[in-house]
Amino acid sequence: MRITLRAAISISNFRIRLKALGHFPKVRLDSHTNHSLEKTKVKTFKGGYFGKILHVDLTRGESRTEGYDEAFIEQFIGGRGFAVKLIWDNLQKHRRFDPWGEKNLLVVAPGPLTGVYLPSSGKNSFAAISPATGIYGDSSMGGSFGVEIRQAGYDALAIHGQAESLSYLFIDDDHVSIVACPELAGKGNLETEGRIRDAIGDHDVRVASIGPAGENRVRFACVTSEWSRNAGRCGIGALMGSKNLKAIVVRGNRDLPVFDLKRVIEISTQAFAELSRHEMMDFWHRQGLMSVIDYANEIGILPTYNFHDVHFEKAEQINGFTMEANYKIGNTACFGCPMCCGNINLVKQGKYAGTVVEGPEYETAAMLGSNVGIDDFGAILRGNHLCDDLGVDTISMGNLIGAVIEGYEKDLLTIEDLDGKPIGWGDADRVLELIEQTARGEAIGATLALGSRGVLERWPQLQPLVNHVKGLEQSAYDCRGAISMALAYGTSDIGAHHTRAWTVGKELEMGAEWDAEQKVNLVIYHQDLRPLFDMFGVCRLPWIELGFHEDFYAELYSAVVGRDYTLDDLLQKSKEVYNMTRTIGVKLGTGRADDYPPERAFAVPIHSGPLAGKVCDRGEYEKMLDLYYQKRGWDEQGIPPLAEQLNL
Amino acid sequence: MRKKLAVVPERCSGCRLCEITCAVHRQNANNPKKGCIRVTTVYPHPVVRMPVVCSQCGDPKCAAACPTNAIYRKDGIVHINKEDCVACHACVDACPFGAIYVHSELEAPLKCDLCNGDPQCVKVCPTEAIVFLPEHVFGQAHRLNNVLSYAHMKEIEYMEKGERKRLRYADNAPSGDLNK
Repeated sequence: MRITLRAAISISNFRIRLKALGHFPKVRLDSHTNHSLEKTKVKTFKGGYFGKILHVDLTRGESRTEGYDEAFIEQFIGGRGFAVKLIWDNLQKHRRFDPWGEKNLLVVAPGPLTGVYLPSSGKNSFAAISPATGIYGDSSMGGSFGVEIRQAGYDALAIHGQAESLSYLFIDDDHVSIVACPELAGKGNLETEGRIRDAIGDHDVRVASIGPAGENRVRFACVTSEWSRNAGRCGIGALMGSKNLKAIVVRGNRDLPVFDLKRVIEISTQAFAELSRHEMMDFWHRQGLMSVIDYANEIGILPTYNFHDVHFEKAEQINGFTMEANYKIGNTACFGCPMCCGNINLVKQGKYAGTVVEGPEYETAAMLGSNVGIDDFGAILRGNHLCDDLGVDTISMGNLIGAVIEGYEKDLLTIEDLDGKPIGWGDADRVLELIEQTARGEAIGATLALGSRGVLERWPQLQPLVNHVKGLEQSAYDCRGAISMALAYGTSDIGAHHTRAWTVGKELEMGAEWDAEQKVNLVIYHQDLRPLFDMFGVCRLPWIELGFHEDFYAELYSAVVGRDYTLDDLLQKSKEVYNMTRTIGVKLGTGRADDYPPERAFAVPIHSGPLAGKVCDRGEYEKMLDLYYQKRGWDEQGIPPLAEQLNL
Repeated sequence: MRKKLAVVPERCSGCRLCEITCAVHRQNANNPKKGCIRVTTVYPHPVVRMPVVCSQCGDPKCAAACPTNAIYRKDGIVHINKEDCVACHACVDACPFGAIYVHSELEAPLKCDLCNGDPQCVKVCPTEAIVFLPEHVFGQAHRLNNVLSYAHMKEIEYMEKGERKRLRYADNAPSGDLNK
């Protein structure tokens, strides 16, 4: 059966729409087709899983649901685990392929705990072969989008093919349709979301969309939902753009399967009470992740002037207290989260007056602030707003702009390279202009849009200034003071991102008492544990920030699926998944040579702050890397035994 | 003493914990869309996050609209009698606040009945955006604000031992007439 493409979206004023939606919304959707293609038998489980994965083929305009068996769950848990397996199978089917467009499978996967009554259960993962790095990549998104996918009755979405023209995918419980939307071309995320809600006639549908950056295949384009919940890293938005997929729209009404709801309520009620009593909670509500700016600045890991310094002299102008005093107008939270770490900010006066944005959190404030020398918090908010609306990852953007500024300062780039307009540290207007140009692929932005690798191809002289691992730009924690963090960046399966392991705090705390083996152990433990949160589909912040015990999640998972698991069982499964992503990376061309932190970590000693003089030692790093491979059970080139099973 | 739910939208973070808490406790289903309370979110201009829940009106429009008289008010709480309800959803349309909800799997509409005097959403709300107050406390905050605004606060600056100092005081004399 073929799904007919529907054209034209009705446009109406936002306010009128809200009024009209007061009671029964007028829904006019023509030519919807149900999908009922060759459904494989769906097995039902005790709890936690619907047993269904929705496969959509954009090229042929078809969709079908596929079931899976017990062994699939046993091995991969869910969420990111399912995504890795689907991508692995797709690789085996197509072997080597161009990460752009048709053959690259995009998986959107909430986990078995997403949407369940427990603290912070609003996460889901977007995974694919990353157009930025050419290897496996994923990024997770908060908000309510993942919950809605689960409520529609699916454990994951697998999106194949490439649409003929710009379209969005609408999943309405059992009804799946692909709707052409040429009028949304070039529109920002906010307008896209509003217009789609308009067209469907329901204010409560959940939309994950891409902005112009995704359509223009900016290598670090993100997927955005609910104003500013982003799956930012690894260029998943660019992949959606290449598939001509402007947005994924979901509406679901089902109950989530929970085996022992009584037990879940029991555990969670206690957890909520514990969280509300937590001594840090009040401060966390006030500042959220913005409090990290002061922490990072104090201990010496705040990226400043393109990761050259680790201490920003004007940090107090961009920290949480400044935000609280002059900008903050409200809190936001993802689904079911008592931590409310989102800050809504408004610029009340000055050049950027009138900018309202949900954000920034630490990474954005650091990368669009200290890393490019900006000390005006209003400008950071403006930059954050632009990035959200245009669909650009703030971490990568801040990295590349930082490299350009430093390159120009060190005469590695000429004024012609910069289109005749100079740029310097803290030049907010120029930074904002670059963000816009990057998203639209104009002028110098066309080069920045190619990501680290593309920038280095065009300007090889910037080699020592562009901070990336495997093509993914470094996130906002300097690693020179903590070699375990360098190892975490180097060995991360997606590139220089802290999502897999964040060990810098612990290492600086332990100091000289900590030997190489302990460091390697912690990196591996984190790399096994932290992806587990993505597999469950929950946020790891209650664990990181408020000290929630890991065992809590094993207990909850057991209650939800109706089987007993210990944390060690689950970590073992997570380890296997890590081996798989590593194998994919190895088979697609990365190896030991790519397992090093950005060059700056070895070359430029920190020159100020409490860690002055510190730099990573290459010899020590080599030894740690050997030890890391050995403990992982990989050979000295970092190739896992599993590599024999994937033939490309 | 009767108590009612009050909502403070300025405090709401939009986390939807109230929705799912209501659903798991009252419907025994892990489904936020089966809650009797829902958060409506509007952004970016204006930014509003507001839990919408039944106000237990004294003269309920939903009851007036019900063709089978299934909606009745007892001890200050408006209930739906599921046996008499024909699921025509006239009440949903009649409620001026949109605080009655419909779910396709459930016959009767979803409406808050204050959990027998112990609302679960209030307990779980992390920002105290939903509060459970005695009826006579309603409006107290406005009253206090109004009363305080009567105290015309003034500020004077003066020098003491070469140091500039400020003093704030309340000028309560109505337009200075009493002094004459």
